[in-house]
Amino acid sequence: MAFFGKAVSCLKAFVILVLLIFMVSCGKEQEETKVETDEITKEVTEDKSEIKIDKIILPQDLKWLANDSDPVFAAPDAEKGGIFHNAVLSFPLTFRVVGPDSNSSFRSAILGNHLSLTGIHPNTLNIIPELATQWAYGKDKKTMYFKLNPKARWSDGVPVTADDFAFTLEFMRSRHIVAPWYNDYYTKEIEKVVVYDDQTLAVVSTKAQPDLHLKLGISPTPRHFYKTLDKDFVKKYNWKIVPNTGAYQISDFKKGKHVIFKRKKNWWAKDLRFFKNRFNVDTVKFSVVRDHNLLWEYFKKGRVDVFSVVMPKFWHVRTKTPVVENGYVHKIWFFNDTQQSAMGLWLNQDREIFKDLNVRYAFAHAMNIRKVIEQVLRNDYFRLEHGFVGYGPYSNTAIRARRFDLERVDHYMRASGWLRGPDGIWQKNGHRFSVEVSYSQDAHTPRLVVLKEEAKKAGIELRLQRLDPAAAYKKVIEKKHDVAWMGWSTSLRPQYWEHFHSVNAHKPQTNNITNTDDPDMDHLIEAFRDSLDEKERIELSLKIQEKIHAIGCFVPTFMVPYTREAYWRWWKLPKVPGTRHSGSLFSSFDSTTGGLFWYDKQLHEETKKAMKQKKKFSPVTIIDETFKGQGS
Amino acid sequence: MKLNPLTQKKIKRFRSIKRGYYSFLIIMAMILLSFGAELLVSNRALIVHYQGQYYFPTYGYQIAGKIFGLDYDYETDYRQLKIKFEKENSTNWVLLSPIPYNAFENDLKEDDFPPFPPSWADHHYLGTDTVGRDIVARLVYGFRIAILFSLVLLLVNYCVGVAIGSAMGFFGGRFDLFFQRIIEIWSNVPFLYIIIIISSIVVPSFFMLIIIMAFFGWIGMTWTMRTITYKERERDYVLAARVLGAGSFRIIFRHIIPNTIAVIVTFAPFAVSGGIVALTSLDYLGFGLPPPTPSWGELLQQGWANLDAWWIGGSVIGAMTLTLMTVTFTGEAIREAFDPKLHTTYE
Repeated sequence: MAFFGKAVSCLKAFVILVLLIFMVSCGKEQEETKVETDEITKEVTEDKSEIKIDKIILPQDLKWLANDSDPVFAAPDAEKGGIFHNAVLSFPLTFRVVGPDSNSSFRSAILGNHLSLTGIHPNTLNIIPELATQWAYGKDKKTMYFKLNPKARWSDGVPVTADDFAFTLEFMRSRHIVAPWYNDYYTKEIEKVVVYDDQTLAVVSTKAQPDLHLKLGISPTPRHFYKTLDKDFVKKYNWKIVPNTGAYQISDFKKGKHVIFKRKKNWWAKDLRFFKNRFNVDTVKFSVVRDHNLLWEYFKKGRVDVFSVVMPKFWHVRTKTPVVENGYVHKIWFFNDTQQSAMGLWLNQDREIFKDLNVRYAFAHAMNIRKVIEQVLRNDYFRLEHGFVGYGPYSNTAIRARRFDLERVDHYMRASGWLRGPDGIWQKNGHRFSVEVSYSQDAHTPRLVVLKEEAKKAGIELRLQRLDPAAAYKKVIEKKHDVAWMGWSTSLRPQYWEHFHSVNAHKPQTNNITNTDDPDMDHLIEAFRDSLDEKERIELSLKIQEKIHAIGCFVPTFMVPYTREAYWRWWKLPKVPGTRHSGSLFSSFDSTTGGLFWYDKQLHEETKKAMKQKKKFSPVTIIDETFKGQGS
Repeated sequence: MKLNPLTQKKIKRFRSIKRGYYSFLIIMAMILLSFGAELLVSNRALIVHYQGQYYFPTYGYQIAGKIFGLDYDYETDYRQLKIKFEKENSTNWVLLSPIPYNAFENDLKEDDFPPFPPSWADHHYLGTDTVGRDIVARLVYGFRIAILFSLVLLLVNYCVGVAIGSAMGFFGGRFDLFFQRIIEIWSNVPFLYIIIIISSIVVPSFFMLIIIMAFFGWIGMTWTMRTITYKERERDYVLAARVLGAGSFRIIFRHIIPNTIAVIVTFAPFAVSGGIVALTSLDYLGFGLPPPTPSWGELLQQGWANLDAWWIGGSVIGAMTLTLMTVTFTGEAIREAFDPKLHTTYE
């Protein structure tokens, strides 16, 4: 699948980070509030301190924005308390979030408790406040101004000031953190942080670009904690617990065994509109369980509170077990509506056979994706209609993928002068319609063998070629494939230039693996990249997706627009159990979507008693379709 | 053809070793049957009688459904055709193979998910694998590939190994020393890793895998051949041949090698079982022949991943045990029958 995952790990880390913190945005109307800016500038100008700092004056004509009107998504009846037992497959190599070995999955637990200036509402996708209460856009389209919440505190009680954001830049640009990707990003992408006073600052991007808030809503770094950085940074901070601004802080850990997070009793943000009734559990304990099957056993014994059952085998087969059937453990199938990986068959148009549009269409119509979904994937996967599903308004919902249709295959192939050979495969001028399909995951073989047998009916021979992931990645990125079976990782906005612009065609080491080379497409993509106007960008985005469909170089296959969990019945979820962009319903810390669940002590006692007395409850399986198929 | 009395004696002795002899008969029967597998295990019917005409679809090109009055262009589904003819109660009929599935097709059901357990009604006598392919069909075709693989591998290994081994023994001196060192170095290369590395970069085909395996497989035979040749070249018949003016090539291939045939034959069955095991383990690890080639290793892998589907692991382990046991018993009997102590006297 994702050969792409081999890309620089830092980059991946950042994409995940950005995804987690910001998710996507769409520019619906913001609540606009005009605030008198005179006072602030006066303060600065009147400041006649001896230390001469550049007197920078805050622009007067800023339009300050805030958001206290978007709907809340936490449950009003949530209660505080309880211990949440979670598990990790391996103990993190360090608690640092930058530098060597920091890119582990545990990092998201630490970063979840580091708030940023602004966040994204997980349902409406509007900007919502985190550390900042108000924000404003500069006229140059590359500056954003922020006013901090005066209540914001580090976990050691020190107030968060504008200077902490300036220190983020200093920190991320430092050689001593040994994180070249961050050094580069915070130099080339973010120009500077301007401090007006303790509560007011501006973050400046190096270039004007759309969706500025996704890039400029950075998080602070505690200067009072790090003071000056030196070359011992990596070693010195491996196991240091850095002050944070989120709801929890690490209170105890035993290397190789567990990490315990405790909720801050007087967290400064606990009554803020979008944080109220969230982050309810008192203690979150991550224990190390090194094997997935073992983890399932732990879960069944109640030593872990939740278990992800996305895999069909777990959802359908393994959960037929007493704890579930007796109703002690509930199952939930929650549909979300977030960016879907462009998973499918990518045709190399530099191959002679795929230069013909009819042949590409015929190939798409010969793929019996439905049969695979129905009879191999237990109807658990969904048909992906095109490569950019789940990008909100940027996704074209009118496009439908080409369905398995033998008559259409016949029509297209005959239109191009092909005839069925004696072995039933299409032939033309001595060439057979036989193509190599390169893929890398063993687990995908069952899907491909069914496609292969079905394609044979349509007169197309697929030669399956399973390669080791690195070899497959190399083959595809060097454009040596006929057909690549793979998916791309997603980003905040659809990425077209990399995949479909002719600049990247016909040469190795670029992501245009279909070798799409179409002047109209180039114009559209260039216009999309150059535009700073959201409406125009959306329009172009829809057009580009239509164009991709018309070129027919990508046959979309599956998507998994949901998450599935099994959890002990004393854990409670809101009425709508998650948000549009929830990846997991039991994420404890994630500032955008996490911390919505809570502990019900009474139910816990009741369940313990029932288990002792062998009393049964009726089994519960919740299927929540609130967000099903809205953007897809 | 009249056999040399010594050979006759060996064969007689071999036949008298019952365990080995019957094993030999079983394995030969299995090999022969597997070569005609299309007649026993195939989704194509053996005979179709349609509108007064006979069709034999087993071999040759596919017959499109339209020929038999069906509404599609792709290959006829003979199982459905049979049901259709029976329903129509016409003079048309279909004779299916005993196991009417091939090794690739997915026999999936609407309301259930594979693997399906053994079922007489569906003619899946050993059930299906995780994508609904018949296990008997996978086993039979997998066996054919494995046995062919190890026989060809044996041939290649022996040609190279015997030639080099005898040359080392015959010429001796520096030639021998040189090759000894080469072989020592060669045999220290961890060949399994090399195969894994190579097959992760390129997907190996049948012959490519043989070439890769033979690249390291010829070594084993050289040491034995070298020793025997050293002994044989001092014998009078070699001296006599040399006196008559025979060249080295002729002496090695016409005189020495025929006299060492006993050793070569004795090793062969073990090399065959070695070949099967090697291919199976490579397939098991996912570095063997590309999917969807029917393979025992792949079945074994599925069996391991789906321990609750006992019929997958059970059938492939049963089949492997049977094959390896018969080959080994045959080998033991051959070794005993060819034991030089029984037939040769030394001066």
